[in-house]
Amino acid sequence: MDFSFTKKEERFRLELRNWLEENLPTSWPKEEEAYISFLKNWQRTLAEGGWAGITWPEKYGGRNATLMQEIIYHQEMVRADAPPSINYVGIHMVGPTLMQIGTEEQKERFIKKLLTGEEIWCQGYSEPNAGSDLSAIKTSALKDGDRWLINGQKVWTSYGHIADRCFLLARTSQVPGKKHKGITVFLLDMNQPGVEVRPIVQLDGRQEFNEVYLTDAVCSDADIVGEVDKGWQVMISLMLHERAGIGAEVFTLEKQFNNLVAMTKEYKVDGKSLIEDANIRQKMADLYARSRGAILNYYRNLTNTLKNGQPGPESSIDKLLVSELTKEMLEFAVSIQGPHGILWKEDAPINSRWQEKYLYSYGTTIGGGTSEIQRNTIGERVLGLPKDLRA
Amino acid sequence: MMDFSLNEEQEMFRNYVRKCLNEAGQTMVAREFTCGNTSEFIKLQKKLAELGCTGITISEEYGGLGLGALDLVPVLEEFGRAVLPGAYLETMAFVVPLLEKYGTREQKETYLPEIAAGTRSFSIAWVEPNKSYDPDVIECQAVTKGSSLVINGVKTLVPDGNQVESLLLIVRTDEGGNGDGLSLVLIDVNEVTDMKTLSSMDETRNVTEITLENVEVPMARVIGEVNQGWNVLKEGLLYLHAATSSMLVGSMDHIVEMSSEYAKIREQFGQPIGRFQAIKHRIVDMKLDLETARSLSHYANWALDTNQQDKEAAIYSARTFATEANIRLASHNIQNHGGIGFTMEMDCHLFLKRARFYENYMGSISQFREDVSKGLGWSYEKPRFQLTSK
Repeated sequence: MDFSFTKKEERFRLELRNWLEENLPTSWPKEEEAYISFLKNWQRTLAEGGWAGITWPEKYGGRNATLMQEIIYHQEMVRADAPPSINYVGIHMVGPTLMQIGTEEQKERFIKKLLTGEEIWCQGYSEPNAGSDLSAIKTSALKDGDRWLINGQKVWTSYGHIADRCFLLARTSQVPGKKHKGITVFLLDMNQPGVEVRPIVQLDGRQEFNEVYLTDAVCSDADIVGEVDKGWQVMISLMLHERAGIGAEVFTLEKQFNNLVAMTKEYKVDGKSLIEDANIRQKMADLYARSRGAILNYYRNLTNTLKNGQPGPESSIDKLLVSELTKEMLEFAVSIQGPHGILWKEDAPINSRWQEKYLYSYGTTIGGGTSEIQRNTIGERVLGLPKDLRA
Repeated sequence: MMDFSLNEEQEMFRNYVRKCLNEAGQTMVAREFTCGNTSEFIKLQKKLAELGCTGITISEEYGGLGLGALDLVPVLEEFGRAVLPGAYLETMAFVVPLLEKYGTREQKETYLPEIAAGTRSFSIAWVEPNKSYDPDVIECQAVTKGSSLVINGVKTLVPDGNQVESLLLIVRTDEGGNGDGLSLVLIDVNEVTDMKTLSSMDETRNVTEITLENVEVPMARVIGEVNQGWNVLKEGLLYLHAATSSMLVGSMDHIVEMSSEYAKIREQFGQPIGRFQAIKHRIVDMKLDLETARSLSHYANWALDTNQQDKEAAIYSARTFATEANIRLASHNIQNHGGIGFTMEMDCHLFLKRARFYENYMGSISQFREDVSKGLGWSYEKPRFQLTSK
């Protein structure tokens, strides 16, 4: 058992930390449009500094980083409060998938531009009647001469309003009784007349996701990933790439807990710090145990991945645990602010980020596979319980 | 280099212990024990001692293997899986580390080789009738008489007092307050004036009450400094609670296995009940609790061995989480089994009762949480600065 980093890993950390000190933006714009160009600039700065897609091979602009270096990368980004990646879908999902199964032409066309943030990507997965039951999608792609015409509706499309490209699932044929067959993945150009994007307002007031209406939107054969009718396998391999992103969530949880400790020491009610209240202190000790447990679980799964070369099914536990715990922790953080906790924005008793993060956390147990879907996966793949009845 | 796993030797030792417990019939030993038949348990104890289980943390000089807390982990997990009776925990994870650190040469020579050989085990005599674990309420008194101590008092909730050869007794040797004036004394069970077995919900561990009337033992039986016993005991508790967490993890491991296996074969409405999400999702949540407890307990024992700064917080957070999770899991396990889970026939009840045994064992959850808080230095008297609040 060993929790230390090698000298080489520590040098990597130092290099990144120094780079961040010199390049991290100091002020974040509030206004929506300015914020988006701020994030795009940040993505370009990262790519130019060689700090985007670090695990990728050098020929695609990466630095061949090891898994441990990727962990350090997440730790340092969280530590520095770096801006979020505006091209998360592109870098963590589309890029690695194209490198694995894309054509040479696709790699050439897309990879560099998504790394620099020149092209922002979104995912065209969910539909009004295909949420957790993703293979029930109805959006259709029909061959019309040498082009494909796409019709249907996508929903919960994060970054859809700013995206240039969409990693789209569409039905290309009907196989009775086998819904996951006959699906194809298209790389759709969002900047065309057949694509209409309508923003959806989230419960926290933000507009991060969208409805996407497709009316005779056009794709070509060159936009297909993998084979026609075999998109489900492509989608599964993309989801495996998504897992790597969980590291950032674990370290964010750790940081939020530390912020919560500081808050309970600093915020006073009737002249007393919150942590002086035995009930609050007890709950804090409980949250400490559970957040440490989540982090240590992550390290244990990481050890398995390092030893076996690939993540085991146990790593699906991390997402469920971290998202549920984050939600509970933020709920507690608002609750202990007492009656004043209902106030936010400029009237927040401490810092409106607590209220905002709390509301935002409700999305984390839904997006990327609901907690219920995660439980099905863990139950079936890790514990070997019988599969759910599926139509 | 990051490696959060038990090493090959530790896993290999686990396999030896598992094999030995399999041959003994796993929970059958505990079941026989609850019926008053201790012979299977005694036989098994001998085999486990031959395997080296009783020497793990004892230095080689005294016949042990000279290993650390983390090396006990796989053994404790296996014992927890089998709900094994006996005072292994108290002996190996409390008295041994204290003897190793505070014992005189004579004390070490007297006790350690016999513990390593499996011929002597220890229990802890701490709490008194109708009292808490607070050090300042201890009344059992030891008075100096020449080079002897004369002890009078009653100690209750002594785990397996009737299964062990010796006791570590905490007595008052001076007036106290804040844990002062207490001393730890090593006594033999046959020196005790009277011992009775109390009725306990968990019949896999005997709970006894001992009476000491003018029991005279040599001063040389005091371990650590006179009147400084509380500090010594607190240190021993770090080992004890780290080890307890591991034993609880073992029980949880078995519970999750029981529930999943049952859910795969038990059919209702024409299908295995594990297909229903009400059951499936509950078992998944149990699995999450198990893995979290395992991570916490492995880290706690590592932190103890390597004397990490956060060891106190690590140990007590493992202890609180594993304790509560174990009760939760044992309860869910009964529900998952339905009617048969409510019977003596299934093992479900053994795990529930054992879970309750360890709930308030040598401390309470709320106290452990305060220990976490202390370990993290959450000093709330002096906040760094005060925020302006409206």
